[in-house]
Amino acid sequence: MSLARLDRTFLRSTRLSPYLFIAPFFVVFGAFGIYPLIYALQLSFMRWRGAGEAHWVGAGNYLYLLTSPEFWASLGNSAVMWLLIVPIQVMAGLGGAVLLANAKLRLRGLFRVAFIAPFVTPLVAMAQVWIVVFDQDYGLVNYLLNLVGLPDVGWLTSTAWSKPTLALLFLWKTTGFAIIILLAGLQAVPGGVYEAAALDGASRWRQFWSITVPLVRRSMAFLVVVQTLAVFQMFAEPFVVTEGGPYGSTTTAGLYLYEHITASDLGTGAANSFLLVLLVFGLSLVSVRLLRPKDEVS
Amino acid sequence: MNQTRPGPLQYVVLALLAIVFLYPIWWAVSSSLKPAADIIADPLSIGALTLDNYRAMFADVPIGTGFANTALVLVVRGAMTMFFCPLAGYAFAKYDFPGKNLLFGVVLLTLMLPTLVLIIPLLLEMSALGWVNTYQALILPGSIDAFSIFWMRQTIAAIPDELIDAGRVDGAGEFGIFARVVLPVIRPGLAALAVLTTMNVYNDFVWPVVAVNDTAHQTLQVVLSTLAQNVTGNRIGADFATVWGELLAAGSIAMLPLLVIFVLLQRHFINGILAGSVKG
Repeated sequence: MSLARLDRTFLRSTRLSPYLFIAPFFVVFGAFGIYPLIYALQLSFMRWRGAGEAHWVGAGNYLYLLTSPEFWASLGNSAVMWLLIVPIQVMAGLGGAVLLANAKLRLRGLFRVAFIAPFVTPLVAMAQVWIVVFDQDYGLVNYLLNLVGLPDVGWLTSTAWSKPTLALLFLWKTTGFAIIILLAGLQAVPGGVYEAAALDGASRWRQFWSITVPLVRRSMAFLVVVQTLAVFQMFAEPFVVTEGGPYGSTTTAGLYLYEHITASDLGTGAANSFLLVLLVFGLSLVSVRLLRPKDEVS
Repeated sequence: MNQTRPGPLQYVVLALLAIVFLYPIWWAVSSSLKPAADIIADPLSIGALTLDNYRAMFADVPIGTGFANTALVLVVRGAMTMFFCPLAGYAFAKYDFPGKNLLFGVVLLTLMLPTLVLIIPLLLEMSALGWVNTYQALILPGSIDAFSIFWMRQTIAAIPDELIDAGRVDGAGEFGIFARVVLPVIRPGLAALAVLTTMNVYNDFVWPVVAVNDTAHQTLQVVLSTLAQNVTGNRIGADFATVWGELLAAGSIAMLPLLVIFVLLQRHFINGILAGSVKG
């Protein structure tokens, strides 16, 4: 069919062309989204080690995971990471956004570039920098501690410090993103609201809690949902920096999922994926509900 | 916000924050330019500059292959995103057709699908197709993504219908209207989409590390992670310093392209980041 003919028959027809325009997405999504998803669901009820025959095991993989200490440990590690990351990030993000929101601030563009620069760097490259900077024997951080007379800390080699050190990488990399999101929420707040509050004698602190926080709730909810998803899927940080160690202390939910692939235990891996998706959905719903602005009806 | 003039304390806090965010990048880049032994012996010094780490890194690490593969994936995926996502967004924004709401619902639903759930079945699909260690495996899955369609739909919905009808009156075909009326109007949105897509594809790691295990097809990020694994296994004396030097050289060179794009196209970057949050 010639191009001119194609244009006449399809592209000039208002009825057919929208279908043609959205078709590419559905072709790609069907082939690399829906098909593997259905396949994964089926696989999650099978015992299959990547070769040989697959056996139907019913809910066996799910039961195995739900009774496996390692599965719960991976969720526990991710939950601790969440606690180390999300509350700090929301507070630091809000603080940074409030500082940047002042219209009379000089050098604002410069500060903004500095805050977002980490977000732009490749995670793997920065994970390498973390390996070097937090090395127990030769790293920069312990070098500085020694300078002021403090002993070495096993940032990446002790189970107590491995999670905070990885959480710090995540925080360093994405807090600029949080600041930008919350700043956009703040700038939607009309300035007159604060003047009125100031006239009524409300203190700065009072204004912050009674005006700023409620008005950025929507942005905060978005931030919490996005970061909850990201923390529970966290993979590259532990994969590159600690390989899940020491003693499994940084084997996050995302990394544990990957270990099923390395172990060729694909049925269990598929089941693990679905359990993780359910959990992440549940957590997102809870955060949206908790952070929904009060004036919105459900 | 309160429009009182910021005090010195506010500047001090902001400056400290800026140092915290920039110092690791600065330290990595400046250390990569020092003699390898000094990185360990004197991590704070900035002494004699040398390109030795870079020479060693280029000799030992297939970083050129990594850059070439990433560039290839970026160009093809980028072109697909930049063409098909606005096209689908246009259909959803400006046409009424049976099944539209249902189909758009599917697009929105895929937004909530975590990448992780697809990794294992996709890998199996790739091996069934014989696509492990191929470019199509790196390029095709997720190449026309729901988020970009959603975003472009929002952008195109803001175009007045009169503009599109005027194009129709002038006798342009449906595709002609898209190419000659819609695309020029949404140019700022397209620039933000291009910048955000570049960042996402360039930094993508989970899928490439699963889909590819031979050196010939490794993307830049996979090359970097392989290098990091060498460090963990190699902790002896002078060799160790050399590996660190190579690691920092590779990391610094990998950061460079995006940091340059970011500084030059800041506004588009920030618009791209914010585009996600407005869906609320």
